[in-house]
Amino acid sequence: MTKSQDCDVLIVGAGATGALAATVLAQGGLDVLCLEQGAWVEPGDHPHYSSDWTWQRRTNWSSDVNKRHHPDDYPVETNSSQVLMWNGVGGSTNVYSAIWPRFRPSDFRKGDEHGLAPNWPISYEDLAPFYEKADRLIGTSGLAGDPAMPPRDPCPTGPLPFTRAASRLAEAFDKLGWHWWPAEAGVISENYDGRPACNGCGVCNGCPRGSMSKFSISIWPKALLAGTRLRPYARALKIEKGPDGRATGVHFVDRNTGRTEFQGAKLVIIAANGVGTPRLLLASDNLANSSDQVGRNLLHHTLVTSEFWVDEPIESHMGYVASLLGREFAETDVNRGFVNGFQFNCLTGTSSAGDAAAGWASNAKAPWGRGHHEWFERHFAHGIGVHAIGDDLPNPNNRVTIDPSVRDSYGLPAARLFYEPGENDRRMMNFMLDRMEDIAKAAGAFDYKATDYRDEHGVYRTPAWHMIGTCRMGADPERSVVNKWNQSWDVPNLFIVDGSVVATGGVVNPTPTISALALRAATYIRDNFRDLSMTTRPMAA
Amino acid sequence: MTDLSGLETTPEVGDDKLGPAGAATLIADFVDVLIPGERLWPSASTVGVQGHLALRLMEERGKNALPTLVKAIEAAGGPLAGLDEAARVAVVQRFEEAEPDLFGWVRDATYIAYYENPFVAEAIVLTGHPYELRPHIKGYPVRRFDLASDTPRHGRGRYTKTSDVRRVDISGLDLESNRTQAWGLKR
Repeated sequence: MTKSQDCDVLIVGAGATGALAATVLAQGGLDVLCLEQGAWVEPGDHPHYSSDWTWQRRTNWSSDVNKRHHPDDYPVETNSSQVLMWNGVGGSTNVYSAIWPRFRPSDFRKGDEHGLAPNWPISYEDLAPFYEKADRLIGTSGLAGDPAMPPRDPCPTGPLPFTRAASRLAEAFDKLGWHWWPAEAGVISENYDGRPACNGCGVCNGCPRGSMSKFSISIWPKALLAGTRLRPYARALKIEKGPDGRATGVHFVDRNTGRTEFQGAKLVIIAANGVGTPRLLLASDNLANSSDQVGRNLLHHTLVTSEFWVDEPIESHMGYVASLLGREFAETDVNRGFVNGFQFNCLTGTSSAGDAAAGWASNAKAPWGRGHHEWFERHFAHGIGVHAIGDDLPNPNNRVTIDPSVRDSYGLPAARLFYEPGENDRRMMNFMLDRMEDIAKAAGAFDYKATDYRDEHGVYRTPAWHMIGTCRMGADPERSVVNKWNQSWDVPNLFIVDGSVVATGGVVNPTPTISALALRAATYIRDNFRDLSMTTRPMAA
Repeated sequence: MTDLSGLETTPEVGDDKLGPAGAATLIADFVDVLIPGERLWPSASTVGVQGHLALRLMEERGKNALPTLVKAIEAAGGPLAGLDEAARVAVVQRFEEAEPDLFGWVRDATYIAYYENPFVAEAIVLTGHPYELRPHIKGYPVRRFDLASDTPRHGRGRYTKTSDVRRVDISGLDLESNRTQAWGLKR
């Protein structure tokens, strides 16, 4: 084993939050080193330039880690969830769709609202400036002025094109008297920050052009320019703790040489996502887990999905994948029979003719045999997808653990993931399914299909695009893993900046919020580094 | 690291009865039952779907997958050569009923390979839709957002401010009952 000279800040994980933290800290003059178990993903590596991109997106470019055969990945054992994860520089921004809505103020106050989920130790107002900063750094598009959300700065670029699918949806929502608003996206509608505007290709699972913010293109160059040292192919094995209770550094294996090394640091940041972070802590002799909350309270969101098809050709294979957001049901109304709310993430259609026939959002499939072509002609470019995504209640039994027997090729235990929706979540999903049918009817659909993601045995196999909550922040060290600055209650120079820190999941895609939280935490570390590099106790509750 | 040992690259493509040529013909006939030629649409075998299917079957499901498919079609009444259309359809229906998982995988793979083909892409264009096999390269022409006409004017929507969050009465919800066993689409 080799030992390197200590750095100021050691970051584990080069995904979205690791990139943002590295940028802030290196620009602040600190010596930052980032370990990433995967590789750089060059634009030419993506499937977008090949005619078989649909097939690749279902196999070796699947966002589900368990559908790929990729050496950068590690095993995630699960009997329920499909796990969205990309292990490499830029993390899951290599395969995400970058729908970019914010949490709402009440998301941070569920403890006050009903008590079935905790309050966050911070408020929406604490985070709002960092939402704005993140938008400018990352490059987003959208339309300010939504009456269903707090006032905000204009997005750096204006809204993406209002597609014919969006028009059709807007008419349906108007008929129902429901709120709708053009979707915010981590995609630029105009040239911005040296990157080209979205060209409307519709292949929105990662974007090698960089129009969609792929963090290896949008953020990492800034971090590197500021002096961050990035080591790809470096898989973290264990975080080491010293006798004073502080983290001393990280053991990792260089996957190119097979050599195990130790990197010392004055401060350690974990940015390994809602599965990788608890896995690493649990595998590090149960580090930072006096609360027994590490890995617990896994949130995926309640999610059900539908597709409908209209007679009018709406060319829904063209343009950015998201069209409208519907926030009519985003706040709690107990008259619905459950607490918390949900949002409609309205899509366009699939850009792939193959997906249109073989199954896309709802998994509706064309018939085989005579009749196949007629079905295709009626459905392709006529379809619209709708996700209903809701705030699932934290449940300590929904959790990430480490597998007692399965290990990766370097001996680190596999992550084991368990998730099942609770009573409130099931009621919400029933309500969501009914409302999605209302949308299809209001749109005058000639065909409609929904999925509840339950398999033939009734198991909810959510496409768990969001893996959050497993090291949640809080004001009580006995019920949370980190404090309001993302600082471990137990290990004062250990910070967690990925999605595992959220206390509740909101009704939206979490990456904007996670990004804002990472910027906020990194700013705090930068401004207090001198004290943090010495203290043996958390600095703030 | 992911175990790749099940993905050897030396498949046995046929069985003793058919041999490789007969097996290839069987798969070509099979994909044509799934996607027959019609009007401007070429049949699946015309554009070579069977070759892609065979490779992908092997790559994703292992070296035994292709002979397993051949045997499954045979067990359902294949080969298909020499049968009329109704009889071919009946064979495929029996295969679908007997091996739904394998059939579903093969059907989806057939569809995807078919629509990745340039001749099929041209047929899509002839139906009146712009369509590119690799749209990412040049994109599609989509009208820019028009602030004057596209901005919502409905005025609907609300949010609860932090200072306005109030306790809701959940006593009537009975969330401890765990009573919603029938949920989702099957209610």
